[in-house]
This record gives sequence, C-alpha cells and structure tokens, in this order.
Amino acid sequence: MMVRRATLIGGVLLAAACVERVSAPGQCPSFCPSGQIQIVDTVLTSIISRDSSFRGYVTALHAPQLLAADLPGFVDGRAIFRFNGYGQRYLLAAADTGTILGADSARLQLTLARRDTGAHNLSIAFYRLPITIDSATTFADLAGPFTDSLVRRVNIDTLLARPGRKDTITGDSAVVDTLNHVVVLQLKFDTAAARYVGTDSGTVAYGIRVSADSLASIAIPRASLVWHWYLRVDSAGTPVARTPGPLSAPSFASFVSDPPPPPPDSTLAVGGVPSARSILRIAFPHFIRDSSQIIRGTLTLVPVAPVQGAPSDSFVVEAHTVFTDVGAKSPIVVDATRTDTAVIRAGMSDTVQIEVTNLLQFWASDTTRATTLVLRAKEEATSFSQIRFYPSAAQAFRPALQITFVRRFPFGQP
Amino acid sequence: MTADRRTGGRGVATAVLAAVFLTTSPPDRLTAQDSQFGIRGLGTPGRWESVRSRSTGGAFAPFDPLSPLSEAGLADVPQLTATAMETASYRDAEVAGTTSALRATRFPLLNVAGRVHRRLAIAAGFTTYLDRTWDVTLRDSSVLRGTLERYTDEVTSDGSIADVRLAAASRLSRRIALGAGLHLLAGSTRETAERRFDDTSFHTVQQLAEVRYSGVGVSGSLLLGVAPGLSVTGWVRADSRLRATVADTTSADTDLPRMAGGGMLFSPSPSVRFGGAVAWRGWARAGAGAFDTWSWSAGAEIGAGHMPLRFGVRGGQLPFGPGPTAPTEFAAAAGTGRAFAQGRALLDVGVERLERRGGGLTERVWTALVGITVRP
Repeated sequence: MMVRRATLIGGVLLAAACVERVSAPGQCPSFCPSGQIQIVDTVLTSIISRDSSFRGYVTALHAPQLLAADLPGFVDGRAIFRFNGYGQRYLLAAADTGTILGADSARLQLTLARRDTGAHNLSIAFYRLPITIDSATTFADLAGPFTDSLVRRVNIDTLLARPGRKDTITGDSAVVDTLNHVVVLQLKFDTAAARYVGTDSGTVAYGIRVSADSLASIAIPRASLVWHWYLRVDSAGTPVARTPGPLSAPSFASFVSDPPPPPPDSTLAVGGVPSARSILRIAFPHFIRDSSQIIRGTLTLVPVAPVQGAPSDSFVVEAHTVFTDVGAKSPIVVDATRTDTAVIRAGMSDTVQIEVTNLLQFWASDTTRATTLVLRAKEEATSFSQIRFYPSAAQAFRPALQITFVRRFPFGQP
Repeated sequence: MTADRRTGGRGVATAVLAAVFLTTSPPDRLTAQDSQFGIRGLGTPGRWESVRSRSTGGAFAPFDPLSPLSEAGLADVPQLTATAMETASYRDAEVAGTTSALRATRFPLLNVAGRVHRRLAIAAGFTTYLDRTWDVTLRDSSVLRGTLERYTDEVTSDGSIADVRLAAASRLSRRIALGAGLHLLAGSTRETAERRFDDTSFHTVQQLAEVRYSGVGVSGSLLLGVAPGLSVTGWVRADSRLRATVADTTSADTDLPRMAGGGMLFSPSPSVRFGGAVAWRGWARAGAGAFDTWSWSAGAEIGAGHMPLRFGVRGGQLPFGPGPTAPTEFAAAAGTGRAFAQGRALLDVGVERLERRGGGLTERVWTALVGITVRP
C-alpha cells in the first residue's frame, strides 16, 4: 500500500517538477514591452576646455630604451653608453693580483627591440666617446667623437643574411627571436676597438649611430647591453689571458638627438623625448552622467601636422584619468580597465579617435572624480615621434567628445 | 484502530512530504501561469482557483471554500483546512510562423481557512493577481554614427503581484451565506533591459530595476440555497489602483478592474455535482490595449469516494493583447483527488489543455496541477 502511494506521489511530483524556460523571440510591438531601449548619440564640442600640454615627464636618461635614428628632416638620434672596468689590477688568485696589460678583445651584446623592416642596408656604427659623458652631455658636445672616432660598423642586413647569421671573419653573430620580434646581436670588438686603459680603470664609452638607405631607426633596451672583456693580465711577468664575468649593465646609458624637441606651445603634444603629455578638462554633462548609461565615448582630436618618424616609430597614446587635478603633476590613474588607447602611426595626419568609454563610465560611477583626461604615450620616451593636436582654442579643429548613451529604461510601466 | 492510526499517520506524512516538495522553491516563483499576451499589458491575471476547482474548468470556484474567488463558500468550511498548489505548464507560443517552446513551474495558491465561531469562518492566504514573468529577445539593427549596427535585445521581467486576502464568511441561515474579503496587492518584479551590439565598440547596455507594486481591493459574495441540491452564488470585487514604484519613485499608477460573477451548483445526488460559472472583469480601465473580459466555465465532479472524477471546460477573453479586440481562450481540464489519513490529507491532481488566440499569436498550453490539502 505504501509503495503504491509513494509511486503515486512520485509520479505526480515528476509531472509537476520544477521547470523554467520563459525566453522567447519578441514579436514587436504587439508582444513586446511598451518601453524601448532608447539610444542617443551626441557630439559635444564645447565641454573640453582649459587644455594644455607639458613636457619632461620621462627624459632620455630614464627611458627604458636607447634610441638611434637617422631620419633626415626629422631627427638625428644617437645612443651613448659607458661601462666601468675592473681597475688597473686583476685578482688572479686569493692573494695574488696582476696588472691588467690590456684587452685582447671584447664582446658587446645588445638587442634590437625595434627596427623598421622596410629599412635596407641597416648599419650600426660604434664610436669611441669620452668616458666623461653624463646626463648633461648634448648632441653638440659629441659632434667631434662621432666624426672621427669610428671603431666598428656592422651591417645588420648582411649579418642576418649570412649562414647561421654568423660572420666568421669579424666574429659577429645574430639571433632572431621571432616570438618577441627582436634581434640579439653579439658583436666582437678587437684590441683596437676595445682598448683597456688602466689609468681609466678600464672604463669605456661608446656611441651608436644608425644608418640605412631609409627609415633608419632602432631602439635598444637599456637592460640588454652586456659588455664582456677578454683581458691580458701580468702574472709574475708572464701575460695570461683572463675572461672576467660580463658587465651586465652600463654605468651610464642615454641618447642625444638633434634637433631638440620644440618647446611646449598652445598645441596638445603627446610623445617624443623628453615625453610630453596633454591635459584636457571635460565638463561632463550631468544629464548624461547622472541618469544615463554610457555605451561608447570617443574623443576626437585633429593633428596639427603629420606625425614624423619611421613606421616603426609608431606609438600608442593612452588616455588616463587622474586621482586629482593639480595641473602638470596630476597623478594619473594607472588601471588597465580605466585606460583607453589609440595607435598613432608615423605619417598619419587623419583625425585621431580615442575610445574613452571606460573613462566616461568610471566618471559616471564615481561623481567625485575629477573629469580630467591625460594623454600620454603608452611607453614614454621610447620613440622620437610625437603628435600634436589642435587645442580647444582652435574653434574649427578643437577636440570633441562623441558620446553614445542610453536613457533610463521605463521600468514598471505597462 | 491501531492499524487505522498507522495508516493515517503515513498518509499525513506523505502529504506533508509532498507539501514540502511543493513549497521549497523561491518566493518569486509564487506566480501563476504566464502568457505572451501579458507582456504588453499589466501582466497575466491569475486564476483564483484550487486544483479541485480548476479541474472542473473553474466551474466550482465560486462555491469552493479553498478557492479565493469568492468568500461565501467559506461559511461551509468544516474545520481548519490548508491548501497549496503547484502548476507546471508547457507552452508553445506560435506567432508569425515561429514557435517557441516555453515552460514554467508556479506556486500560485496558498490558503488557510477555519471556523472561529459557529456562524463565522475566516480565511487567509494568497494567490496570484498578475503574473509578470517573461523574457523577450529581439534581433534588430539601427544606424549609429552613420553605420548600421546590429544588436540583440533582451528584456526580462521576473516576478508577480500577489493577492493577499483576509476573508470572512457567515451562514446566516440554512439557505443564505454571506462573505467579504479584504485584498492587499503586493509584489515585485526584477526587470532587466539588455542590448548587445555585434560591434563591441559599443558596450553592452545593461539596466535593471526592482519594481514594487501595491494596491488594495475589497470583495463580497452571497450564496443562496435555492432548492435541495441547487445553489447559486454571486460575487463582486473592486480593486483600487496598482501603484508601481522604482527606487521609491512612482513609475505608474494604473486603474484596476471592477469584477462581478456568479455561479450555479447542482447536486442531484451526493456523488454527482454539476457546476457553471460566469464572470465579468472591467480591465479596460487599465488603459490602452486593455479590454473588459467575460469568462465562463462548466464542469462536473462524479464520485464522492476516495477518487472522484472531475472535468470541465472554460472559455473567455484575455484582458491584454494587440488589436481592437480581446484575445480569446478556451480550455478543457480533468482531474481527480485522493484522500489520505481518513480524509485529513488530500492530494488533488489535474491536467489542463488551454489554447489562447489573438493578434496573430496562438498559445497552446499543457498544465499539470498538483494540490495538497491538509485538515489537521
């Protein structure tokens, strides 16, 4: 009896088991809600004001990459670096040192993090520089050494074309990292090119110039420079060879360029070296911020002139908001979810559009935030190229903000 | 005697177990069967009927003390009685050559009634006043920034408006019973509106709101025994305005209908009952796109033993729909019941086939009905 009842109950419950599927294609307007999602798209031109640009955030001395370029009409940039040596004596044994007689050779390792694949006969030339180079050294200061102190020249294209990418005569070699799109060079400096001067404590300084048929522009990560000495040391009157460990970081590295970047003017500059940033203040309309949902925001900027540089000098402009607006030193909010970007390609003169939806949504979610935009290069001081936009003072070409937003849905209405 | 007690205990335990199964779902599922016709209006009106009444097409509802349609029938409730109901509906909505298979489980009724005096019975409980659960998806496009942008909209509503009733009834004489009820309309829906663009440059639109509803109503009914085995009843009900609020701001204030109805119950023998009912509801007050409706039902219950057979049909109109005329519906239902524990626990089951038509839409629904009644 109990089994029959349980079977009956179970059957009934199975028939009435919880199920839910209520989603159906809408046949509008007959069988759709009366309310509709209303989207508004508007271009706001007058809400951007008090814009200005500032330069000097990241200088060549603090740039993560050393730049060298020979782009006639734009820039002549040269990388410079210095390695400190081991002094006049070398530790042969625990209690035995010997005078360093000189160097048989040296090996320099560096990485070309960026080069233009359209550049042919790309060569890099090394010049011996005074070891006194420092952050105050200018392009003009090194005009002499860069003219008469050439110690090595390497044709990258030729080296890469050799079997195994090795030059058995010069001792140079190259490794192409196709994953990271970089070229790692191992360059041999002979006795004449790598002079170990004991009175200078073995310190050497070099400068790099780059040349090509065109588009000669490279970037060398500062941390990729490694110097390796092959020394001759006096051991009780007998010269012996010693190979100390590599010097993995230059004691000084920077780059110089000519002409220097133009001083800030009324235009909105972004990029270059030292890096420039532009600040735009936006009067965010309350009717959008308070009662709408922003689904797209686009900042439109008109360049003053085409962007100069090689194609590989293209860079990314980021739009950030700030924690507080204190002018040029406004601390920016570095958060990938609240950062919008646009790629600036060398040679472009078209209007630049930066999607700033994330920023506008951030401002809408927190009305206490300063509605200030900062435009900067994503990796500052890694390209000589910069872009300059018309400011709000230029009525015909002023920055504009195009916002697409959704009005509040009429919930609760039949 | 001992065997009877044991059997009765098992029956009660079985009924309680089933009741637990039936009532352990979230509160927002305490809604009635929904319909695409209710999307554009206030919702889909609930059916204020127990499983027993609904299995007869609704014909017995005006006389059923456990159906919250009218109150006069309460006067004859013999003892404290509680009932709960579950429905599972499988619905095919066909429009413009497209058929959508939908299904839903609802718990539309909970009612407790009992006597507090020799001549006075009261009841409290809730049922669904309007179901507002639906989910509409739409594929469309529009020109944005000079480009045709394709998108998918999804607008949903999940919830209902419940009719919380406190009712009392009194048998004034052998032939006359009177009843009255106070109705509090309360409920909420969680509504969302979402638009996803194919072009991800446009972020997804996502808006949601918790909409709360409130209103009040009163009802009264009269039950007359006109002859041995023949009773007639009439009922009226008036509801105020349904106020919808979003974040403490009134978003809509809608007039609710006046209603009236009546029925007849004929019992030629203790094991055979025939019933019929008719009702009018003035939904046109609710605004554009709403219609006054008529509905009718006829049904019978045969057998007074452990498993009576119930069946019935009903028809009528729906209050909301497109076009100049109200959509129509027709349903046939059948069911039975089983008493356990010397009649202290009742399990009622039924099945209903319903068809609704209007504005190019046809809905066909199979609904399984399960009700548990306990008389402790």
